[in-house]
Amino acid sequence: MSTAGKKRKFSSQSRNRRISLGATYTVLSLLSVIWLIPLIWIVLSAFRCEYQPDGTFIGRVTSSFFPKQFGLKNFEDLFTATYYGVPKAFPRWMLNTLFIAIIDCIISTFLVLSVAYCMSKLKFKLRKPFMNISMILGLFPGFMSMIAIYFLLKSVGLTGNPSHPEYSVVGLILAYSAGAGLGFQIAKGFFDVLPNALVESAKLDGCTNFKIFRRIILPLSKPIIIYQALMSFTGPWMDFIFAKVIIGADNAKYWTVSVGLYSMLFGTHPDTNLFTQFAAGCVIVAVPIVTLFMFLQQYYVEGVTAGAVKG
Amino acid sequence: MKRITAIMLVLAMAVSLLAGCGKKESDDGVIRVWVGEESAEFYQKIGDEYVAAHSDFGYKIEVKGMDTGSIAGTITNDPTAAADIYTVAHDNIGKLASTQCAKPIMDETLIAQVKADNPASFQKVIYSTLNDKSYLYGVPYISQALFMYYNKELVTEEQAKTFEGLQEAAKAAGTKAITVTGDDGYNMSFALLATNANDHSTTVKIFEGAESVSGGAKGESNCQGDDTVAIFRWLQAFAEDPNGFKWASPDGWDADLDKDNKGVLAVIGGAWHYNTAKAALGETNLGITLIPTFTLTDASVEGLSGVKAGDVYRGGTFADCKCFMINANSATTKYAKEQELILYLSSKEVQDASYLECLNVPAYVGAADYIKQCFEEGKVTESQYNLAAAQVSMAEWGIPQPFITGTLNTYYYSKNAPAVFRAVIDQTAYPTTGDVILQETTSLDGVRKALYLIEYLWMHGVTPKEFPAALPEKA
Amino acid sequence: MASNKNHAPKKNQEKTGLFEGLRKKCENFGKRFADGSLGTKLSHFIFGAGSFYHGQYVKGALFLLIQLGILAVMIFCPSINGTPYGWKALRNLPLNNVTEGGDFDPLTGQFTVGSDCKLMVLFGFVTIALIIIYFMVWNMNIQSSYQTDMDLKIGKKPNTFREDMRSLLDGKFHVLMLTPTCIAAAVFTILPTIFMIALAFTTYNSQDMNDLGTNLFHWNGLQNFRAVFTGEGSLGVEIKNRFMPVLGWTFLWAIFATLTCYFGGIILALLINKKGLKGKKVFRTIFIFTIAVPQFISLLAVRNLLGEYGPVNSLLQDWGITKEPIGFLGLHPSDSESLAKFMVILINMWVGIPYTMLMTSGILMNIPTDLYEAARVDGSSTMKMFFKITLPYVIFITTPYLISSFVGNINSFNTIFLLTGGGPTYTGYQAGGTDLLVTWLYKVTIDQGSYNTGAVIGIFTFLITATITLITYRRSKAYNEEDTFQ
Repeated sequence: MSTAGKKRKFSSQSRNRRISLGATYTVLSLLSVIWLIPLIWIVLSAFRCEYQPDGTFIGRVTSSFFPKQFGLKNFEDLFTATYYGVPKAFPRWMLNTLFIAIIDCIISTFLVLSVAYCMSKLKFKLRKPFMNISMILGLFPGFMSMIAIYFLLKSVGLTGNPSHPEYSVVGLILAYSAGAGLGFQIAKGFFDVLPNALVESAKLDGCTNFKIFRRIILPLSKPIIIYQALMSFTGPWMDFIFAKVIIGADNAKYWTVSVGLYSMLFGTHPDTNLFTQFAAGCVIVAVPIVTLFMFLQQYYVEGVTAGAVKG
Repeated sequence: MKRITAIMLVLAMAVSLLAGCGKKESDDGVIRVWVGEESAEFYQKIGDEYVAAHSDFGYKIEVKGMDTGSIAGTITNDPTAAADIYTVAHDNIGKLASTQCAKPIMDETLIAQVKADNPASFQKVIYSTLNDKSYLYGVPYISQALFMYYNKELVTEEQAKTFEGLQEAAKAAGTKAITVTGDDGYNMSFALLATNANDHSTTVKIFEGAESVSGGAKGESNCQGDDTVAIFRWLQAFAEDPNGFKWASPDGWDADLDKDNKGVLAVIGGAWHYNTAKAALGETNLGITLIPTFTLTDASVEGLSGVKAGDVYRGGTFADCKCFMINANSATTKYAKEQELILYLSSKEVQDASYLECLNVPAYVGAADYIKQCFEEGKVTESQYNLAAAQVSMAEWGIPQPFITGTLNTYYYSKNAPAVFRAVIDQTAYPTTGDVILQETTSLDGVRKALYLIEYLWMHGVTPKEFPAALPEKA
Repeated sequence: MASNKNHAPKKNQEKTGLFEGLRKKCENFGKRFADGSLGTKLSHFIFGAGSFYHGQYVKGALFLLIQLGILAVMIFCPSINGTPYGWKALRNLPLNNVTEGGDFDPLTGQFTVGSDCKLMVLFGFVTIALIIIYFMVWNMNIQSSYQTDMDLKIGKKPNTFREDMRSLLDGKFHVLMLTPTCIAAAVFTILPTIFMIALAFTTYNSQDMNDLGTNLFHWNGLQNFRAVFTGEGSLGVEIKNRFMPVLGWTFLWAIFATLTCYFGGIILALLINKKGLKGKKVFRTIFIFTIAVPQFISLLAVRNLLGEYGPVNSLLQDWGITKEPIGFLGLHPSDSESLAKFMVILINMWVGIPYTMLMTSGILMNIPTDLYEAARVDGSSTMKMFFKITLPYVIFITTPYLISSFVGNINSFNTIFLLTGGGPTYTGYQAGGTDLLVTWLYKVTIDQGSYNTGAVIGIFTFLITATITLITYRRSKAYNEEDTFQ
């Protein structure tokens, strides 16, 4: 082939590549827009501030995507309004959820790590049965056992306790974190990849298993610790069914924020005029969670990938 | 491994059991009250004032706001966790009493007050039986009935008096005329309990003593009389009309009502829909009046003998009350004080105050005068007055919701009767969960069968094995 | 097939091993009593006696405490809501010893509430669990004492409590680490699951019970399971007529939801990871963004966006594409069922594709480049390389994920519950057009209180997912090669 021919071929190749790159950009931008539209709409609705001619506030879903007027009224209302007889309910729900999420995060992460480490690096008699049982238990639909958990907690006064409604929060934390240890698969996948030689050489040096875990394994496990913490921290912000049953429909003061937001839209006599307030609540809930996710993106991706490959 | 697991497990369980065993039916000096979400603050205030004024009362009062629609379910799920005093719509009384969630009221002053204050229609439905004896279970304090909200901007006061008028206005506005707030049995009462506009009698008598306050009931407890059939055929035609009846949007009936959406011009609802309706239309455009009347057409009476074209009926309603009840699981030591508290909370003066503060329409006889007086003294706005006035007049056309067989309100607790309603109005088939199947609900026979099915569902709680060979054609 | 053959003899071995073990255990019991010291003999009756005998006081005290604790519960029967634990709970378990209650003293207001059958069943199971634990600890305390006897015989000193504790940090580290999870799982997962399974064999159905005006229910054997085929009972016809359609749709949904998200994700990952593309990070961030938003927020946003009067419908009408609003999500009974089904699968792609994209991104970057170079030398086109190299590689690596996401989709509650609520409703039936088994289960139990029917649906759901998981899991590399992997 002559040099000229080569050159021509090269330039046509690069043109093809440019076209296909351009197409990719277009498709990706289009997809990005599609993916973001509903979320943008919720944010816009949160800042919507429209009134009837006579001054009544319009809080419903309206047919226009973009608000005609912007304002902070939804947020102001959200933080001052009384819901279910609880004054300033929303900030309370936020704090409840934050408290529950932090404690749940600590307990769950600890449980998951300890179980995963045992399953991955220690040999003992009941290891296989334990893995099988935990897998089988994971297959039962969660809310099947919800009612039973309620009555078990109730029999120790940790829910449905009129003199101490605040104990329900402890009950919910227990219910959330109790099952966490059975979801060890992803963390186990992580530990499996750590070379066994590390453990064995430490053993030869006379380290106890505890020391190995504490001094060698834990320092290496930062990614999986962060992944598990992230997952268990965000859980309570997203659950709107379990929390209501365990904390109780009457116990609005101790609800989590998702139960509160959900019942704003789906009461028995739904007050659809609360939609923009609901949207404002969503924004307030989503912002910290999304920020956390974005900061810890890398760990999340690692966790998800590990889960995919190990199953 | 097993050893330590078991040790910890047992310790945890033993501790928990022992912790639990100390607790008995407790009296910790607090009387807990559940009321509707919107009135929680008001009753807490009233309760605190009462405690402050009566130093011998000896209990603190703790009021919580609940979702009124699901409150009965919450109580039956775990009555021991429910409040000492709770409020439910009267149609739950039978269910709560029979499942031992409520305890009878014995205080004579309280019983006397209930007897003196409340209309006869309520007196029939606040009693339930326990061990074959009839006891007072519920103390009414709020009355509830359906009426109509409409868009004053697009509907004249005259048009709002009849369904035909609404239809005409809807045609001009390019919308549908009217919707309901939900498709359950309660909301469907506007069709089934339609009352003759002349003598105020209902066309069906769905339980013994179910007579409209002002006109009684015609016929026996049958839903397939010619008049009921004619009303439903009229409604079918009205629903078919492009400017007629519409089922509420999944976006909410208030989205339908919103002028920009061109949904409907009016909605049949209750006092608890006031704020939402106001938000949809704005207070100046919000009209409130009785449920309109409609006139039977030639087509709707075709083939029927007991009715004639030109007969006028008014859309009906249930006339209900919300009641205070005492939890059966509440400590015996609180019993006397609970009744004392209810005596006060259900007194005329507190009912009046709750109208002014929370727009709860009082249940006692003669509340209409107070409502009027409040308006004249400028204590309430015009729409707030209209609401109370419309509800009070509708209550006179209505009957209280039943609990057939003495224990149950099979009407509201569905058993699919509302789904049959829906099938009739949409003129679709009804593949029942039972043995019978309604192939169609368009023909005269189809409508009659559907109404028979509804009636049977109410009376027995199950679908019939088969339709009778000849359905009665009573007037 | 080959792997099956390998399995068969192993299983037999396990079985004979089990019988052998049992026989040995029985022999062991007799031997321990005969050969053991006085302490060991006493341990058969008083927990911890052996430990005291050997001077291990803390351990002995622990054993004794457990024995006394359980015996106290068994004998004194502490009760909650008027329902007792202990021997009375065992007596109550058959549910033939129940009282209607309802005695009322008009003078004092004293009201006697009837038996609470659900608590009777629950507490019965808790008591059985206590008894099992009692005998486990019994065995343990004898074994501990006997072991010390043996140790003494060969001249070893018995462990002090401190030494026992220390062993938890080393040789028995797994005990320390697994105990919290075992306890939590026993109390919050296993016990409740057994309880709910048991309800499938009762008449616990709040609606029926309300009708009869009673709080009582009783055991009724397999009747609820029979109702699936015969249609008897209050929800029987519902189950009989709707079970197969719902099951069918559940499978259809799971297949479509899994495949669309899977291949969609791979394609998206390929697009984002295209060579020479700038702003990879931006695009990735955008898609991760949608994962980060809680599902109940994003799905409810979509639901409202698609509402009858929502922005989408009004745009379609403004542009003249449709005249009437479209019921995308089947929220009205008259809405199209197939459209609702199509929409939930479509919207689920919106939810699920970013996950797969994230996962496959990492895998795509790890594909050995020499594979591509070899193909390029052969003159393969980009398309061909995708189908011959990329796809097989990704599928090979992510098979476990594919299976678990299939099972996950069978139980995918949020998408259906928040988008369509199971609608469009079927006239006369609870299970609507887009209801999955799991959302139907929710309606039946939480909304309707038909716990027995719910339990039946739940058990069927479990059997299906368990079968799929076990078959695939047992054949998967992850399971069979787990040991070699280490």
